Amino acid sequence: MDVAARGLGKATSRSGERALGVAALVAVVVSATLSLVVAPPDAVQGEVQRLMYVHVPAAWLAYLSFFVVFVSSVAYLKTRRIRWDRIAAASAEIGVLFTALAIVLGALWGKPIWGTWWTWDPRLTTTAMLLLIYFAYLAVRRVVDNPSRRARWAAVIGIVGFVDVPIVHLSVVWWRSLHQQATLLRVGGPEIHGSMLAALLVGVVAFTLVYAYLMTLRLRVGRLEERAVREALSPQVGELEEADA
Amino acid sequence: MDENVSYVVAGYVITAIALGGYVLRLFARAREARRHADTVAARRKG
Repeated sequence: MDVAARGLGKATSRSGERALGVAALVAVVVSATLSLVVAPPDAVQGEVQRLMYVHVPAAWLAYLSFFVVFVSSVAYLKTRRIRWDRIAAASAEIGVLFTALAIVLGALWGKPIWGTWWTWDPRLTTTAMLLLIYFAYLAVRRVVDNPSRRARWAAVIGIVGFVDVPIVHLSVVWWRSLHQQATLLRVGGPEIHGSMLAALLVGVVAFTLVYAYLMTLRLRVGRLEERAVREALSPQVGELEEADA
Repeated sequence: MDENVSYVVAGYVITAIALGGYVLRLFARAREARRHADTVAARRKG
């Protein structure tokens, strides 16, 4: 845990943040070039299949974000260090963004291929539940004022809510689904053309770098907002101490 | 040209707006929090 915390400390320094920002931007440009120019159109779906190169990475990064929430929540409950709560809060906010993005991109892909923007398919329904769970997580963080109680309640939701992630992923196996089966993580290996696979993997790397950059930014914002609250409260704390004396 | 290209364009534009917009929002939140903390600290000192 300490090694991870030290690594995070280096990444969240201002120079680390800038380096991550540049790396993420370069990776996004390379990914867009590979997915829009280099990769061929799909033999069956045509050009619209290119949405896979943003839809799948967005969904994977939602999983990763909520996994980080889960690990940080466990670490918080174990150590009671507020640093883990900050990491969980930052990752949950970014995870909600990626989940919403995956749903919107899926709807854009679904309309021309399935003939509808939305259907109550197991994959779509469990993903919508995932979004609602982490909306609730963020809502609890806004409603509860006491910092340690807020961190404790949020950690419990962060741990219990993560149960939905494997359900989302395995929903296409467990239930009859309109959504296609796994393309990469399947028995017998990936089932797509090499150039498409390369574009997809670069897309996942690019989105991962974007996630890392957003985390460094969001953690800095969290520290600054906590400082603003501390500064605002400190005179009142002083007045209370004087009154007590 | 494939008639579904507009869905691809919309998807990539929405992705760029969502991620870029969130980065700008975080910069604005950081600026606001720093300004607020500095203002309160300066008022207390002054």
